[in-house]
Amino acid sequence: MNIYMIGVGGQGLITTSNLIGAAATSRGVKALTSETHGLSQRGGSVDVHVRLGDVNSPLIPLGGADLVIAFELLEAFRAAPYINENTKIIVNSRLIRPPTPRLRLPRAEELINKLGAIRNVKIIDAFNAAVKLGNPIVENMVLLGAAHAAGLSSAIDEGAIIEAIRSTMRMPELNVRAFEVGINLVNNY
Amino acid sequence: MTCGKRFMLGNHAIAQGFLEAGVSVAMGYPGTPSSEIMEYLIEKGEELGVYAEWSSNEKVALEGAYGAAMTGARAIATMKHVGLNVGMDPLMSSAYTGVEGGLAIVTADDPGMWSSQNEQDNRWVGLHAYIPVLEPYDPANAKELARIAIEFSEKMRHPVLFRTVTRVSHTRGPVDVCDGKPPVFGKGIDRTKKRFALVPANARKLKAELVGRWAKIEEEVEELPVTVEEGDPGLLVITSGSAFAYVMDSIKELEVSPTVINLSVPVPVQRKKVLDLATKASKIVVIEEGDPVVETQVKAALFDEGIKVPVLGKSNFVPPVGELSLDITNSVLAGAMSIEAPHRRGVNLGYEPPQRPPVFCPGCPHAASYYELKLASTTSRVKPLFSGDIGCYSLGINSPFDEEDVLTDMGSSLGVGMGIHRGTNGKSFVVSIIGDSTFFHSGLPALASAIYNKTPLLLIVLDNRTTAMTGGQPNPTQAIPIEEAVRGLGVRNVYSMDPFNVREAVNTMRNAIDAVKRGEPAVVVSKRACALEAARKLRREGVEPLIYSVVEDACKACGICYNMIACPAIQPKDDGRAWIDPNSCVGCSVCAQVCPYDAIKPSGNLDWIKRWGEAL
Repeated sequence: MNIYMIGVGGQGLITTSNLIGAAATSRGVKALTSETHGLSQRGGSVDVHVRLGDVNSPLIPLGGADLVIAFELLEAFRAAPYINENTKIIVNSRLIRPPTPRLRLPRAEELINKLGAIRNVKIIDAFNAAVKLGNPIVENMVLLGAAHAAGLSSAIDEGAIIEAIRSTMRMPELNVRAFEVGINLVNNY
Repeated sequence: MTCGKRFMLGNHAIAQGFLEAGVSVAMGYPGTPSSEIMEYLIEKGEELGVYAEWSSNEKVALEGAYGAAMTGARAIATMKHVGLNVGMDPLMSSAYTGVEGGLAIVTADDPGMWSSQNEQDNRWVGLHAYIPVLEPYDPANAKELARIAIEFSEKMRHPVLFRTVTRVSHTRGPVDVCDGKPPVFGKGIDRTKKRFALVPANARKLKAELVGRWAKIEEEVEELPVTVEEGDPGLLVITSGSAFAYVMDSIKELEVSPTVINLSVPVPVQRKKVLDLATKASKIVVIEEGDPVVETQVKAALFDEGIKVPVLGKSNFVPPVGELSLDITNSVLAGAMSIEAPHRRGVNLGYEPPQRPPVFCPGCPHAASYYELKLASTTSRVKPLFSGDIGCYSLGINSPFDEEDVLTDMGSSLGVGMGIHRGTNGKSFVVSIIGDSTFFHSGLPALASAIYNKTPLLLIVLDNRTTAMTGGQPNPTQAIPIEEAVRGLGVRNVYSMDPFNVREAVNTMRNAIDAVKRGEPAVVVSKRACALEAARKLRREGVEPLIYSVVEDACKACGICYNMIACPAIQPKDDGRAWIDPNSCVGCSVCAQVCPYDAIKPSGNLDWIKRWGEAL
């Protein structure tokens, strides 16, 4: 299974991919993740390639994603080269303005409408779900839950991910709750 | 020995391999994609008794590891690919003298230039320096090969290069982690032999020995691992490093079965193993990450043996620029076999998002310094040529700052800056901008040269107390005040400033500009801890935070805060008024100082800014 994650530096993509990797490893499923480091803390675009199963190389081929997790609305569009007609796509409806001075952007609703027209897209408001839980930092776990319900569950069971959260994260219970909220958002979509 | 499978970063796997090999001394200079190797060794090596340090530059790191290996210790030096350029002097000598213990020099190459100024392939350096190169293909393999590298070095009493690339170093995968070994230190140096004293008479003798040792190394590398996937002998695919991983996945996807051999030693190639298979092949494809290093050697070997077989590779068939991918190996293999490659290319989502380049973080002191420098140079009526350097502050090249005109290599702000001044016969007003870590890395000798040769230039040291770009490693600025170092070198015009005090900072910079106008060198040290590191530390210590917000009625939508400082925490609303994201603001206060309408107000404890100043 190929999972393509894209977002903005600081949104917790690497933490999320680490959890998937650790959970897979604990179940004897081979996982390879590959991340763009270096400037990723500086608010630039970040992507992480996650590959599960009988794979050797770390990068997803073009059109080869089974699942896309877009942590941010504009970045979602940058996943286009990896998407095919069967790709399941989770999009966070949050728009983070690139800090380029005098930049003109379409309205968020326009972008959501464009994405909503694609097959297999589920657009969720992970940021506000996290705020409701008490801390915007768990936005990434809401998205992980959504991705799990959208298809990741066929590779890794829920229990493995919860164990990985509990054994590696600070505020484990809050993160587990966020993960479960994400699952429900997609199941009730 | 107990072992267990862990999901692990490639760089951590490399470091773990060295710990399991009994390495006792490790020195490095940070640089993406290499930095996590030394971070892991510093953290995990301590309980084993390993000496691990961040050195001031790669030459110092390599000399340190080399010196340790002279005494019989097992030692490593780590750096990014361009760092090896800085360490070339000791590297070349180390092959002549050899070592008594084990010496592995890790070079983390960056094909695709994700975080670098070039994509040089340091396997060439092995050929240039008579030093064998080992190259892993994934994290698990990296751990094994790190151990083998040290063992091979010690066996041959010769340095080895360990070449990793971004997609090995920054890939995570399952790794079998075992206990570290007690570190193996050396006994000392036999003073009677002068083996490590490269005066010409010694060096001539050692060159002859080196050539002999190289011939022996060419034989001995045949004992090091190769992986062979048996298939159709007519088509031989030769790989090295991460290329092997891509090729294995391509073969599966294309449902083809050539014979594949992966070489763990790309320099010198495991020649006998290659030739055994090459004699049966009617076509050879060499796939490697970087330049045609293996391909060139394979062609030479075939020529020597009189074997005439077409060889496809980086020189003629595989894209020579950028990193490999599954799409590339698919089309290369399909092309070599005259079959169709799978045709996939994504979808059109009907919108092209704007680029999101990396920017200064919220509260970054560099952004404030650049704003102040712009104000100071404009009001002083100078039109500087900005000679920049390597670090987070390279982002000063972007709008709205536009204060990095030239930046090429570590320390170049001073060296190239002086050249620009001399090259224009003194007409250019040069401002050299360097960070603290880069200043100690290679700014010091250049500054000495500028002072000695009386070159008038303005040096601005952006001292954020850490090597921020690569993840916040410590460096000498935490022990050596830069102002004192610069005064000690004889600079009379030395100024300190806090970029979070905008008015004073602009005045200080103007004074420094005046000194340069008089024909004297001047140095301004702009001191403020990195926002990421400082905020993380203060939060951990439970310091009461400070954030700023816009008083809506007072804001006149002038845009100075979001257009001139370009803090990512400040965004324009639809009516042009500013809005500060409370989740991003770290309370630096700079926007409040530049607002002409006094429309930005603090909430929280102002003590935060003072504590920030003392954080690192």
